[in-house]
Amino acid sequence: MSRTRSPLLLIVALLAPAIAGLVVFRLYPIGLAVSDSFFNMVRGRQVFVGLDNYLSLIADSTFWKSLQVTLWFNLLINPIQIALSLGLALLYVQKFRGVGFYRFLFLIPIGVSLPVAVIIWRIMLSQDGLVNGLIGMAGIPAQPWLTSEGLALYSIIAIATWKGISYWMIFIIGGLQNISTEIYEAARLDGASAWQRLWHITIPLLRPTLLFVLVADVSINFLLFAPIFMLTQGGPADSTNVLMYEAYKSGFIFGDMGRAMAIIVVVVLILLVIVGLQFRLLNGKQGAR
Amino acid sequence: MKTVKLSILAGLVAGMFATTALAQDKTLNMIVIEGGDTTAMQAVVDAYKASHPGVTINLQSYPFAQFFQVAELRLRSADAGIDLVYVDAPLMASYASRGFLSEIDPSIDVSSLVTSAVDAGKYEGKQYALPVNNSAQVMFYNKTLFEQAGITPPAGLTAGQTVTQAEADELASTGRWTWEQVLDAAEKLTVKDGGRTTTYGFSVEQFAELYQLQPFGESLGTDVIGPDGYTAKGYLDSEAWTKAATFWGNLYSNGISPKSLGYGEGAQLFGNGQLAMFAAGTWNIPILSATGVDFGVAPYPYFEGGKVLTPTGSWYVGVNVASANQAEAMDFAAYLTTDPEGTKVWFDSLQQLPTYKPLLEAISTSPEFDAFPNNVFRLGVYDSLNTAKARPVTAAYGQLQDAFRTAFTDISNGVPVADALKSAVQKFEAAANRVAQ
Repeated sequence: MSRTRSPLLLIVALLAPAIAGLVVFRLYPIGLAVSDSFFNMVRGRQVFVGLDNYLSLIADSTFWKSLQVTLWFNLLINPIQIALSLGLALLYVQKFRGVGFYRFLFLIPIGVSLPVAVIIWRIMLSQDGLVNGLIGMAGIPAQPWLTSEGLALYSIIAIATWKGISYWMIFIIGGLQNISTEIYEAARLDGASAWQRLWHITIPLLRPTLLFVLVADVSINFLLFAPIFMLTQGGPADSTNVLMYEAYKSGFIFGDMGRAMAIIVVVVLILLVIVGLQFRLLNGKQGAR
Repeated sequence: MKTVKLSILAGLVAGMFATTALAQDKTLNMIVIEGGDTTAMQAVVDAYKASHPGVTINLQSYPFAQFFQVAELRLRSADAGIDLVYVDAPLMASYASRGFLSEIDPSIDVSSLVTSAVDAGKYEGKQYALPVNNSAQVMFYNKTLFEQAGITPPAGLTAGQTVTQAEADELASTGRWTWEQVLDAAEKLTVKDGGRTTTYGFSVEQFAELYQLQPFGESLGTDVIGPDGYTAKGYLDSEAWTKAATFWGNLYSNGISPKSLGYGEGAQLFGNGQLAMFAAGTWNIPILSATGVDFGVAPYPYFEGGKVLTPTGSWYVGVNVASANQAEAMDFAAYLTTDPEGTKVWFDSLQQLPTYKPLLEAISTSPEFDAFPNNVFRLGVYDSLNTAKARPVTAAYGQLQDAFRTAFTDISNGVPVADALKSAVQKFEAAANRVAQ
């Protein structure tokens, strides 16, 4: 085999489409957001304001409240979604009667587009909707699911979870199927209980998959926008006003792109920190045990 | 290389032809809201084309809910693909302050237009937009539901009656119900079945919107924001507004009004006979006349002891600063708003209260407007001359509208009035300060 040609050219050629896509669709918009966050529109002209947009966020109570809502929302929704997806995936790979029907049932949400799901849920959660009808049969009075300060955020968490968990379940199933059955057999011979097998075999060996699901899920939930836009517009009393919605409102309703972009940059930075932490925690040399 | 040069040359030649063609035949583009407004605008465009054969006007229509965002984005990006812009009255200042609109050609004669409407198209003393029409709100009531409940309905105009302008003035100045009377009747008219309301006593058309609710607090004596356009403290959270907002909240906590009505849903409820009183625009007349409901039309109510104020203001037309066809666009804007033919075609199609004085004169005097429901416009004429209160002029109107809508939606959902108004004041002022800087 002669080495007349360096493979460098081939590598570049093969990577080029992906890199171009990355630059055009990821890096460029981020760069644009960062640069726009240094400008404000004054009398039809873009005026450079330096860090003003960031400094004014510090004194902005709406921003802090929105940040608080965003963090609380994510603190709840991500563990819930991942725990449920893991549970569903473990059930999915079992062999029992009616498993086909069960599998079909949990794949439905993947096939429904998010806006359609949100509209259906809005109808079901309305004052005279299905959900209130069902709890009414149990003697519980009708609840204002989407219009009360105390319930709206949790209703959105429930809807997003319903929509999201089957999707993440698919990835976890993939991870489960990669674990060699011999390990389980060996453990069973050693007398390990089902619980021990889950805790000492399944979860540690699933770690790369879980890392991916965790990172991707957190990113998606941090940037969740559609259900809030369609159901509550950040209300009531700002209880669902996540940063993405606040940025949208600033930029597209008030025409204040400088503030909107500053918020977006903050969201991206928070997300980077969280993802960095997740990598450190889950990629650490020694495992949980 | 040769082919490249050739194609550049061909492009240049084609470009030259295109520009010469444009010099003769101009094409103007206008953004407008979908529905009746687009139909009416098309009628005006067709009439205009008959006398201006060289000009083509394309209408680009967007649903009401998306129109504002589209207009905002396209104007901000200096999109030369729009020449004429349909402008909602209160947003005019925001557009003008950011340099989106051209100053209206001073040679356009606006003396035939209602002065207050012309003034609302000015920003810092300069005219940036011309009024296309005005608006008036009235209260529709279902006569059958009142009869069934054994309640005397408000004094109003009903089918089979004719009224002169003087009689309409009399009704509007002495027969107007108070909101207290409305609430009292509405409580009795509301029918509930196992906790669910089946017939609502009362509803406004535009749920939680400033346009509709501004007279609530202002009729009690305090403007919604201060004269500087950026202060809400002491205004939106004043005693007057607290009382108005409490009244609003009670409509929902008592199940008298349906929550979160979307665009057109109130008219639907009223048309189905599920709503007894409906505070809404005169543009609902053709819609409601087409239903089987036997209705009357009363003047827009006010608070007892307060001042009579009614919603007003509507759409304007402006010329995009980025347009390459300034003169042509100005000419069409003038035709639409100040020409006897243009204004007539618009009114006949859309049935909105005009700002063109000769047309208002015709409504007051022409026998065509003696009979119901055309005579409802005579109530509109009275209100626009005597009780109409324009929305505040501020470059932060979008921010005000949003903070207001959020607060009143929250109040209807049970958030305490004081908290909701306080939060609205804080949010509006924070956002407005960024505009004011």
